Amino acid sequence: MLPQGIKYHLLIGAAFLAGCTGNIGGGGERAVNDSVAKSLCVVDTPIRRLTRFEYNNTVRDLLGDTTNPADVLPPEEEVAGFNNQAAALTSSDLLIEQYMKVAEDVSARAVLNIGALLPECDPMLDGNDTCALSFIEDFGKRAFRQPLSQTELERLKSVFDWAVNEPDLGRFEDGIQVVIEATLQSPSFLYRAELGSETPVEGDVVLFTSWEMATKLSYMLWNTMPDGELLAAAEADQLQTKEQIAAQATRMLEDDKARDLIRNFHTQWLLLTHMDSVTKDTGVYPAYSTSLRPLWKEEIQRFIEHVILEGDGSLQTLLTADYSFMNEDLAAFYGDDVLDSVTGPEFRQVQLDPDRRTGLLSAAGLMATHANINQSSPVFRGKFVREQLMCNTLPLPPNDLVIEPPELDPNKTTKEQFEEIGANPACAGCHTLMNPIGFIFEHYDGVGQWRDQQNGKDIDAVGEVVQTDDIDGEYDGAIELASALAGSTQVQECVSSQWFRFAYNRTVTQEDSCSVEQLNDVFRSSNFNVRALLVALTQTNAFLYRRAVELEPATGGTQ
Amino acid sequence: MKRIKRRAMLRGTIFGGTVAIGLPMLDAMLPRTGAAQTGTAPKRVVFWFTANGTRQDIWSPPVNMDLSGHPLHAAMAPFSNKLIFLDGVDQDVAYDSIGDGHQTGMACVLTNAEILTGTLFCEGNCDAGMEQYVGWGGGQSVDQYIADEIAKDVVTKFKSLELGVQVRSSSVWSRMSYSAPDQPVPPREDPNQNFTDFFSDIDSDPFALQLIQRRRKSVLDAVMEDHAAFQNRLGYDDKQKLEKHLQSIRDLEQRLEVTTNFGEACTSPELNLPGGSFEQNDMYPATGKAQMDMLVMALACDLTRVASLQWSRSVSGVRFNWVPQIYGEGHHGLSHYDDSDANAKADLLEINKWYSEQFAYLLGLMDGIQEGDNTLLDNTVVVWVNELGKGNSHTRRDIPFILAGGCQGYFNTGQHIDFGGEPHGKLLVSLTHAIDKPVNTFGVAQYSQGPLSGLNT
Repeated sequence: MLPQGIKYHLLIGAAFLAGCTGNIGGGGERAVNDSVAKSLCVVDTPIRRLTRFEYNNTVRDLLGDTTNPADVLPPEEEVAGFNNQAAALTSSDLLIEQYMKVAEDVSARAVLNIGALLPECDPMLDGNDTCALSFIEDFGKRAFRQPLSQTELERLKSVFDWAVNEPDLGRFEDGIQVVIEATLQSPSFLYRAELGSETPVEGDVVLFTSWEMATKLSYMLWNTMPDGELLAAAEADQLQTKEQIAAQATRMLEDDKARDLIRNFHTQWLLLTHMDSVTKDTGVYPAYSTSLRPLWKEEIQRFIEHVILEGDGSLQTLLTADYSFMNEDLAAFYGDDVLDSVTGPEFRQVQLDPDRRTGLLSAAGLMATHANINQSSPVFRGKFVREQLMCNTLPLPPNDLVIEPPELDPNKTTKEQFEEIGANPACAGCHTLMNPIGFIFEHYDGVGQWRDQQNGKDIDAVGEVVQTDDIDGEYDGAIELASALAGSTQVQECVSSQWFRFAYNRTVTQEDSCSVEQLNDVFRSSNFNVRALLVALTQTNAFLYRRAVELEPATGGTQ
Repeated sequence: MKRIKRRAMLRGTIFGGTVAIGLPMLDAMLPRTGAAQTGTAPKRVVFWFTANGTRQDIWSPPVNMDLSGHPLHAAMAPFSNKLIFLDGVDQDVAYDSIGDGHQTGMACVLTNAEILTGTLFCEGNCDAGMEQYVGWGGGQSVDQYIADEIAKDVVTKFKSLELGVQVRSSSVWSRMSYSAPDQPVPPREDPNQNFTDFFSDIDSDPFALQLIQRRRKSVLDAVMEDHAAFQNRLGYDDKQKLEKHLQSIRDLEQRLEVTTNFGEACTSPELNLPGGSFEQNDMYPATGKAQMDMLVMALACDLTRVASLQWSRSVSGVRFNWVPQIYGEGHHGLSHYDDSDANAKADLLEINKWYSEQFAYLLGLMDGIQEGDNTLLDNTVVVWVNELGKGNSHTRRDIPFILAGGCQGYFNTGQHIDFGGEPHGKLLVSLTHAIDKPVNTFGVAQYSQGPLSGLNT
């Protein structure tokens, strides 16, 4: 197994190997010729099974199947905050059984319009075999993301032959259907095996083939298979230099499919699926209804998508923008905080009251998610900021501790009540990390609506942030805190490390230190532009190289 | 209810009406050993999981086993002579294992093995920065062991069936079945999908079914060849991963042949699921009922002999909105209040009572199916497990285990036994004995020295 799960935040702060950072630029020659020692920051690349999301996107692009057929598969194992971690994705009898059934459903749908599958071959005119071979070669190349070997081609042709010779089948379409069925169950389709080219660059370090690089880029930046342009570049072996790769990455981020990436990443990083099950006591929060959940989520997704793909791309804007995206119902929920008038169900950009709202952190949906059913929760909000934005890992409460949120007290504010609990020495060790950050969000009630008072008392949104790398101090309200978070190296590097894990499908290891440093450098020098970070993810040694496949079991320390 | 041509009919009451249920022993069940077991219904084992402990203070049955006035278990009164309540059985191994209370309770309950070291899931004590990581469960679970053993004798359509109700994400908190150490088994959660997977063969034209089999075999043969070639290029670790995948395909292909023969004998249940996603919180009761209906019919049709139904997961946050006075707050949250909190206690009573009612529903279905002189319930042992004893203390002592059904007379039912602190591994050993696949120890030997005494006749 790969070493993994190192405390990534600490690791990022650790010293990096001298000389690793000089390989960002480079000339136009093949990456092979860089003078940097490739053996630094190069690790094994485990095979990666497609996630359900990737499977769905892939059959959409491969066959035009938009039914999200992989939704029936068992859920991915969630590790280190993401569901696409190669080392954690296990196999099971159920998964394999469902792969078969999904492949049957998809292939049956695909041959309903056989003409679309074979635009340039007519079995009546050109003959079954000619058209079958032509289909297998073309479809197989796109499905396996590289040309088929002769053996693979013959194997699929024999499946085709079986069907057309089967008395109860026999039609050309039947043959094509079983070819698709077999292809979708092949490990070459279900797994991404990026094994590298055969010639070492240095020691046991190898580059990837252009076909493998097309697949790496495509699943990393689109969460789906390569498009025609990537496949053409692979065919021409034009995915070998850093410049070629960066140019493709830049192009890909301008494509609509990058939205899938942005939405998928932020759904997981910001725990947006939790929003689907938010429940509130409507006695306390009459403004709440379940119809708000999708609106809250869409607001955040639209905002992030806009900032990263259409706006300035900066982390600062994500955290401190004074605008958002809403429709009429959502704007009505926000009330006076929205300065524009909004009508209709369509989302549009709106100006927010800059004294009340700041970027994604004060979005009502996030505030409501990290709250209790009948009150805000300084604990949950503090925990969210600590874990998701600062990459701290907070331990669970001890086994034997009885935990309960305080009963509502009409004479106290939530902050006063939680201050009493937090003062308990048994709890203070952890809760001083969370509760004061949560207090800073106390202007947002349990559904995320602004409040100046609670139970007749003025809101006190002052909290003291402690034990951070660089933003310790007292803050009054979310506007101040968000601004500090946006300028915090700890937060910036946390965001970078979250992207690392998501994009590379694995946790950061000690061998990654110079790749991590390179990413942080680019992020910093681009004024924390997430688009630049995404392109930079295609330029690290961790992405560009791997160690050659070891056919025998590893010995010694790597097991 | 559709009636299909079938042999060897008996009458039973299931799914709200009197229906014909096919006898399970059919041609397709010819044992590999060649020794025909004609006429005898097989033994089965079913595991039933609910989370977050129970109301330990009121859980035990009265001395006379009359459950009719019991605050939790009244719904199970009709079956009291087919039940065994086990007091004083502890998950000792969970206290040796790394991992938090819920993780260990969940990963150990069917494995009696410690959680693996690993870097997948975070677990913590309250020293900030001293977080620990753990891996998956560290042993094969007893349901999978039994399924593997039975598979040596007979090939059923499914080696085992794991059903879940809103288990949701996959982690060490949500998996109790393991095919091997580090190999969690996911449950099937979508009732509509399950219906298709389990029962679509039954009403199909036999010729069409045979064609599907031939076709699947042809495709899977090619896929397996492809696997072999693919694996040759991989490094050692990746190869291990693919080998597991390939083994599953081999198993799948082997079981393809089982389908046709059962098509003549079984009745597909009517689900009557209300609209809405099975994943929505308030669909929990309806989804659970559909899963129970299908589980029982799958047993009656001998699609498998080993099954489980996992309600949610450890740390279950299901909100029992259908019980009026606890609208809103989730089960896990409620399970954390202090014992002195009367409201929380009342809520936990309602939750655990509701689960007892569901258990009684399952037992009723099973007891309504005659198999020779016995009922399906008599031929089965249903094992109710929980990852904890009680939620607010996270104790893994005094787990509220209940056995139902005698497994063809192996268990001496109709009693309440206080074991006074026996390790639960011995219960797992008892189950292997009951199902005629006996082992001396299961998982950690120290905590599984032979079966529990007093359970069997």
